[in-house]
Amino acid sequence: MIRIPREQYEAIVAHARQEAPREACGLLAGQGDRIEQVYPVPNRAELAVEFFAERGLIPPGRDYRPDAPGAIAVERFFMDPEDQFRALRAIEAAGLEHLGSYHSHPATEAYPSRTDIELAAFWPNMLLMICSLADPARPVVRAFRLVDGRVQEEDIVIEE
Amino acid sequence: MTVTILIPAPLRRFTEDRASVQVEAKTVGEALTKLDELYPGIRERICEPDGRVRRFVSIFVNGKDIRSLQGVETPLADGDEVGIIPAMAGGR
Repeated sequence: MIRIPREQYEAIVAHARQEAPREACGLLAGQGDRIEQVYPVPNRAELAVEFFAERGLIPPGRDYRPDAPGAIAVERFFMDPEDQFRALRAIEAAGLEHLGSYHSHPATEAYPSRTDIELAAFWPNMLLMICSLADPARPVVRAFRLVDGRVQEEDIVIEE
Repeated sequence: MTVTILIPAPLRRFTEDRASVQVEAKTVGEALTKLDELYPGIRERICEPDGRVRRFVSIFVNGKDIRSLQGVETPLADGDEVGIIPAMAGGR
């Protein structure tokens, strides 16, 4: 079970809407099982095409040329490394724990994809929140953890 | 040159849970070698066998990505802070 204040929950949904059709991403910080602050981080997937390609995470037949900016970011996210680093330092400076990350699935369900599972393995046991905009009028946010390669869902309690 | 290496959470199992480690080094590459002498095995999590930094890892000197500096040859000064961060990525 994970707790999150309403305004931080809404910040994730607002960020997802603002970036759509690109994926939005960011970090989650707080203490223990409570998220206190979300930190949006720019999605730089277009600069990481080779990163995805060498792991076989580019769908067959898809042309992700670097000169087609934004195309890959519709289906992938890669946090800007310097912004990610700055956000981690800000979390530390605020006396919070880095609890995990969030990202959006602009057109698919709020469940970890094969890409999510493979890449979350670098950050074991971290919280993974996903905001689906598959039905734009009804965003769905769910939370997961990858424990020993298995997906475990965490209930979300929104604090009013 | 005493520099501080910031260890990301996923690599702290190598460093007895330490979040930062101080080493004497003149370049980023040397700092990583010293780190591996202290905590054997950590370097191969960060670098390819040929010494290049792995694509899913970023290294920062005082907040600047070394890809935009001189890579592992980037010189270090006393008090510099070397950050190591695995990528965060995913997608539908």
